[in-house]
Amino acid sequence: MARLKFFVDNDRCIACYGCQVACSSAHETPIGINRRRVLILNEGVPGKEVSTTIACQHCTDAPCAQVCPVQCFYVREDGVVLHDKKTCIGCGYCLYACPFGAPQFPRDGAFGIKGEMDKCTLCAGGPEETNSEAERHLYGQNRIAEGKIPMCAAICCTNALLVGDATEVSEVYRRRVTHRNAVAKMPL
Amino acid sequence: MTNHFGDVVGNSKMMMVVGANPAVANPVGGMKHILQAKDRNNATLVVVDPVYTRTAAKADMFIRIRPGTDIAFFYGVLHQIFKNGWEDKEMIRTRSYGIEEIRKEALNWTPEETANVTGCKPEEVVQFAKMYATTKPATLFWSLGITQHSVGSANTRILPILQLVLGNIGKVGAGCNIIRGHDNVQGATDMGCLADTLPGYYGLGDGTWKYYCKGWGVNYDDFIKRFAVSTKEKRAKTGEPVKNTVFNEYFYHDPANPEDRNWRNEKGYSLAKWWQGVLKEENTFSSGNLRAVWVQGTGITSMAHTTKIAEAVDKVDLMVIAEPFLNEIGILTDRPDGIYVLPVSTQFESEGHIHATNRAAQWRTQVIKPIYESKQDHEVMFMFAKKFGFYDEYVKGMMMDVVDGELKQVKNEFKWPEDATNEVFRNLQSIGISGRTAERIKKHQQNWHNFDPDTQMGRGPVEGEYFGLPWPCWDKEHPGTPILYDVSKPYAKGGSGFRNRFGLEHNGVSQLADESISLPGSKIKGGHPEITKANIEQVLGITLTEREKAIMGDHWSRDHSGTILKRCREAGVCPYGNARARAIVWEFIDQIPKHREPLHSPRWDLVQKYPAIDDQERNFRVSTRFISEQTEKDWSKEFPTIVSSLRLVNLSGAGMIERTSKYLAAITPEMFAHVNPQLAAKYGIKDRDMMWIHAPQGTKIKVKCYYSESVTPDRICLPYHFAGIMQGVDISDRYPEGAKPYTIGESSNTITNYGFDPVTQIAEYNAGLCRLEKA
Repeated sequence: MARLKFFVDNDRCIACYGCQVACSSAHETPIGINRRRVLILNEGVPGKEVSTTIACQHCTDAPCAQVCPVQCFYVREDGVVLHDKKTCIGCGYCLYACPFGAPQFPRDGAFGIKGEMDKCTLCAGGPEETNSEAERHLYGQNRIAEGKIPMCAAICCTNALLVGDATEVSEVYRRRVTHRNAVAKMPL
Repeated sequence: MTNHFGDVVGNSKMMMVVGANPAVANPVGGMKHILQAKDRNNATLVVVDPVYTRTAAKADMFIRIRPGTDIAFFYGVLHQIFKNGWEDKEMIRTRSYGIEEIRKEALNWTPEETANVTGCKPEEVVQFAKMYATTKPATLFWSLGITQHSVGSANTRILPILQLVLGNIGKVGAGCNIIRGHDNVQGATDMGCLADTLPGYYGLGDGTWKYYCKGWGVNYDDFIKRFAVSTKEKRAKTGEPVKNTVFNEYFYHDPANPEDRNWRNEKGYSLAKWWQGVLKEENTFSSGNLRAVWVQGTGITSMAHTTKIAEAVDKVDLMVIAEPFLNEIGILTDRPDGIYVLPVSTQFESEGHIHATNRAAQWRTQVIKPIYESKQDHEVMFMFAKKFGFYDEYVKGMMMDVVDGELKQVKNEFKWPEDATNEVFRNLQSIGISGRTAERIKKHQQNWHNFDPDTQMGRGPVEGEYFGLPWPCWDKEHPGTPILYDVSKPYAKGGSGFRNRFGLEHNGVSQLADESISLPGSKIKGGHPEITKANIEQVLGITLTEREKAIMGDHWSRDHSGTILKRCREAGVCPYGNARARAIVWEFIDQIPKHREPLHSPRWDLVQKYPAIDDQERNFRVSTRFISEQTEKDWSKEFPTIVSSLRLVNLSGAGMIERTSKYLAAITPEMFAHVNPQLAAKYGIKDRDMMWIHAPQGTKIKVKCYYSESVTPDRICLPYHFAGIMQGVDISDRYPEGAKPYTIGESSNTITNYGFDPVTQIAEYNAGLCRLEKA
């Protein structure tokens, strides 16, 4: 069975925020909950600026799932890492385990009480009935079930954000980088 | 755009972006093609800009120049090209005029002088010139960083001259690719949403008015009575309206009075300086006081000098804002009455065709019916036309068509938007779109999948046509012109030379192309003049029938009968001629582009050497200061820092639409300016501190200081997309209930320095001066 993966070609990402805004709008997340976020490193520093976009990487051996004390995570056959918000106790262990900062917690009130964790579902919803109102309310759209690709990659205007079967994604990127140096270039 | 983005992806080997930031300017899709060209052709990307932009972050080479010194930089490049013999000698000999003048001027621009003026390093000019001149094909992109200057129109000339000198014109992967900043800007330009032309760049002469009256099916003599001339006389029988008008006064033109003019032939006020028509701080020349402002489809707060706009709005009798989102000009004033806000629908709620930056048309289908009480733009216009009493004349053009070479009314009802589209295609002959019909454009929409993205050529049901029939698309069999001035293709396949627009000779030199330059299959060898009724028989070597003579218009761009186009197709000849591109514009003050220091220059020494032009007595009904403003004093003593404007990717224009979207607003929750930490430290301003920015005309704004290395310590840059705070005062309580956006802030346009281009009158947004102060 294929595994679904995201991959970001940083040479293509221009930090347009399209993916981040499309994700937030599609799933109607509260402000501050960024299932996907655009990162700019060394912003404005000549020769050093790098842009990229990051969300849950749907790890093969997901650290979040390993540390969860209530085992709210489950991994679909296609590799998508999902969780059950009704089981989640909002402890935040997954946040510390995740190397990508994917788990998001609503922080309302003066003491920042954490609610249930929210994260990128690869637009694959959650454990509720597929495309039901309950699923949409808790996890946002289930575009995978509708045969669509995740919102963020669908909107990416430079095709920097790739998603799909891991082998196909790597094939697309491989073709791109082999072309990149195929023609002799004048030395700068 | 002479070429198109697909062509860049398919063919460009070298790309220069100057005064543009496609990575953040909407639509950012333009940047995709640049990145694809890098990936697929290993094309080199060079960015020339005062600021290290997001586009620069993707470049192979970034050259930083001082705002307002583009002409100096490119003369420095041309100096290297001529010195090393890299110019395209054939192109210069056969298809250009006046390059010798450029060569002479370029002699002055040694790498050292170029570096002195522009602030780049001498070796950067040398290195860039070699790369750019010896890599073919090379293309360049520019947008508002080039045009928005008091030397903007000269800036837009030096770049095509560079391409002409290198032979990068009329070829695949080359050309001058000007990127538009918003959806359908090309369409708005083609439709003449300007104060100095009728649709299709026809100008305002009576020949144009007569041509348009014919196209609209109205009587010219009656029509012109709608325009004021300076001398006013009541009609003999008072109380009765002038024939075909609702006016009971008739203004007529007095040829004996030199100050009297036919105002229909005069430019109106420009978008940049319309407020002077109200305030009259500078000399204005108009038929009367400007009393009403109608804003429809433009972010007028994204214009410079917002304090002046506010003063003018305070004084006018009436302001109408017809927009989907409240235009923030509505809150610039706190007047209690005289402002009307009309809800107009978005593009998703209307239908019609638009023009992309590569001159191609695209059909856009209505996605949903207008929501709430909003109406489509044309419905608003129709309702007002009815109210003003000229609805029948207003819509008549849509019910006309050419039958057997004659234009006549063919029906009594029109179908929106198809008939409006066809009226546009029928009448904008100057850009050669007679070949389009609403049906052809819709067919292209239905066949998106049948076009090659790189060449734009169609297959299957649209075989032989380029996507969107990029103009010129001369007749119903013409495929459109994907690359302008391409003489390698026959006329019927989209080939053309340069347009013969400026006469047959200048200073005794022929303005027509060399005899070696002909389109394949053309009956005429070498250059030829544009085709008119007067010269068609002689130029094409034909004899017209009496019938043809009777129905033919006087000029290829004013011939509804299509006879000239038909005869040109038979001869394989482009109707607009086959001429030389001129580097000298003898009507302009600067006949060749010349470096002139910004009006508020940080280099007083260079002001002496490269002064501005003389003050302009009148352009667009108002006088403009140049040299007197520049030399009033050494502005840089009081205002030592350069200020330049900037775009943000999540906001566009005045930002009203995006700042009412919470996800977009959250990305930049506040107004700020990028300041180099070294500069900020001089004023004791910490990162994220509030600071004042003072401008020479006495205005100031209070914004947050964001430390950034993207600017050098001599300059700051700041976005223009905010409104709601004016000179430190929060005016957001003026928003109508529920209309306040999520984010408000000062606009950079409040501190835009004085300065306007002598031709287009665009404001100097990008090369002003300012002074920082800790708040």
